[in-house]
Amino acid sequence: MTMLKIENLHAEVGGREVLKGINLAVNAGEVHAVMGPNGSGKSTLSYVLAGRPGYEVTKGKVIFLGKDLLSLSPEERAATGLFLAFQYPVEIPGVSTTTFLKTALSAVRKQRGEKELAPVEFLKLQKEKMAQLGMDADMLKRGVNVGFSGGEKKRNEALQMAMLAPKLAILDETDSGLDIDALKVVAGGVNALRDKDRAFLVITHYQRLLDYIKPDIVHVLTHGKIQKTGGPELALELENKGYAEFTGDAA
Amino acid sequence: MKFSLQQQAADEATLPWLEDAQKLGEQPAADWVKAMRHTGAEAFSRTGLPTPSWEGWQHTHLRPLTQTRFHYKVEPVKFDINALPSSLLKDAARIVLVNGQYKPELSATPEGVIVMSLMDASVQVEGIEEHLVTVGDLATAPFKALNAAYMHDGAVIIVKDGADITQPLEVLFYNAGDADKAPSLQPRCLYWLGKNSGLTVFERHAGVGAYFTNIYTGIFLESASRLKFYKIEEESAAACHFSYTVLQQQKHSSFEGFSYAAGGRLVRQEYQNLLIDSGISCNVSGVYLLKDQQCHDFTVLTDHFEPDGTSVQHFKGVIDDQARSVFQGKIHVRRVAQKTNGNQLNHALLLSEKAEASFKPELEIYADDVKCSHGAASGQLDQDALFYLQSRGIPATEAKSLLIESFLNGALAEVSFAPAREVYEERIREWLGH
Ligand SMILES: Nc1ncnc2c1ncn2[C@@H]1O[C@H](COP(=O)(O)OP(=O)(O)OP(=O)(O)O)[C@@H](O)[C@H]1O
Ligand SMILES: [Mg+2]
Repeated sequence: MTMLKIENLHAEVGGREVLKGINLAVNAGEVHAVMGPNGSGKSTLSYVLAGRPGYEVTKGKVIFLGKDLLSLSPEERAATGLFLAFQYPVEIPGVSTTTFLKTALSAVRKQRGEKELAPVEFLKLQKEKMAQLGMDADMLKRGVNVGFSGGEKKRNEALQMAMLAPKLAILDETDSGLDIDALKVVAGGVNALRDKDRAFLVITHYQRLLDYIKPDIVHVLTHGKIQKTGGPELALELENKGYAEFTGDAA
Repeated sequence: MKFSLQQQAADEATLPWLEDAQKLGEQPAADWVKAMRHTGAEAFSRTGLPTPSWEGWQHTHLRPLTQTRFHYKVEPVKFDINALPSSLLKDAARIVLVNGQYKPELSATPEGVIVMSLMDASVQVEGIEEHLVTVGDLATAPFKALNAAYMHDGAVIIVKDGADITQPLEVLFYNAGDADKAPSLQPRCLYWLGKNSGLTVFERHAGVGAYFTNIYTGIFLESASRLKFYKIEEESAAACHFSYTVLQQQKHSSFEGFSYAAGGRLVRQEYQNLLIDSGISCNVSGVYLLKDQQCHDFTVLTDHFEPDGTSVQHFKGVIDDQARSVFQGKIHVRRVAQKTNGNQLNHALLLSEKAEASFKPELEIYADDVKCSHGAASGQLDQDALFYLQSRGIPATEAKSLLIESFLNGALAEVSFAPAREVYEERIREWLGH
């Protein structure tokens, strides 16, 4: 089943066209990796899919689980089952991590027509997911991402993903800032969620992450377009040769 | 009473006020009360209302006050007893003032606290005069002068030496006005805490219709006494509220004041905190939530006379629509007041393009060994944070509320009494539309 279908997507940010005709289809159960040089438009693609203000779609369409994704508000997209793990998670002083998680989970459940989790059930779920990700309970009391180290922020993204159990998770460089052990833990969190009804779009610069989260399909994105699509071997090839072939620059 | 009505200062709006005051001046009272009325009326007739050219009045314009004819009445007010809001807290005692007049029949007093009307206290309580006089120069404070001119309504609350009152006391000012006979209310109140005593007060101002309330509150904290003073200003949308609180603190006393301001059309809450001895702690903080055409002004002076004092002024405000806020805060540290610790912080969140916040933060320090700071800023909601919350499924309005609540929590953290924090949180949520 096609979960996400992106057709000829063009988008502008800051008055500049960054996405120049993206075509991409992701089926339920698949893991897709998107690789590409700095500034090629990977984060832009993820923000456009999540509905960030300021990212203007000028052409094309996106169908997600049978819905016209671009007509939905960010919160409706989340409720439908889209999740973006941010490349740069945002700090929210004054809102504790646990309040944030609880508010998010109950908002999503409400929009999905599910009944609210009882407080004990919520706490149990939170505890279980935190243990899986090797996180310290102390951070629940702290403001969302406030004073978190780079790695802690990425774990927090993984925690939110685990709690919200999305249909499609976009991981924007979730590996950057993680040490080797943390990388394994976070990849373990992703793999625990993998099943036939769920899909992942993993944005990364490095093969290392893909050693732990094995992709089914790899895309190369440069200059706002998917230049090539292949199997896992494409990532290894990029690791050796770089992007010269796609950017027109000498290697 | 004889005083000359000085037409050059009094205008169309205020001349009737002086005529009312002149009538009131004839009401029987102790000689010193009559003298205070006289001095007040005379001072007001000389100055009239402050104008924008006055120091401290640049940003708060009084048009809503002069547009309506407000009249003072000495007769007991008729009102619908069922309209009184229910008590704030289940286990608190409550005293009620209706249009400034103390209503013993509607009031209950916690054990160990003496409450009486201003006029009764003026003849019955020994040494009350020095606690009821207006502090400061009337020539620069027309609202103080006006209140003195009408000295008649209000209440006196006294806690004896050593009494530690655990039951909170709600002091409800319920004001009923209407458009054609909008009342002018001029109550004077006194909180007088004896040595080493303690009290927790919720002072709540609420009402219906149009009225002008101008309150003078004296707070006397004798040595080592402790007052928690939680104010809730939720006046009717058409009301003008002016309040002048003069706090006089003695050695080792502590004052924890917090003010929630969300009501009224035009409101100015002014504090003058006089820390006249050493080792005093004084916290005057608050939140303001404004919308429509509301205008609200907090003007706070904290004056450290002696060493080892700690003071805080911590305010957070949320301003929507075309509302305007003014914050004028000053910490004054006199030459001998070494080891003073003074902090002032004011932040306003502007929710609309037409919302406005003016700040005048000041430190005036003459001692050399002090720790003082101030900061003031206004900003908008953090759009990145908003998107982050939405991307987790939290609807935009709820996400905004969450950010606003967390912003206000910064000031609410100054409130040490949990039931008070809950009262404030509930009102904030209500204001946000939950
Ligand atoms: N607000 C903005 N205004 C102008 N240009 C922008 C804005 N945001 C992004 N861009 C530009 O869009 C291009 C794509 O940025 P994007 O963040 O999508 O790249 P990326 O592929 O995620 O890069 P990286 O690997 O470094 O994360 C860049 O050239 C960037 O400078
Ligand atoms: Mg990026």
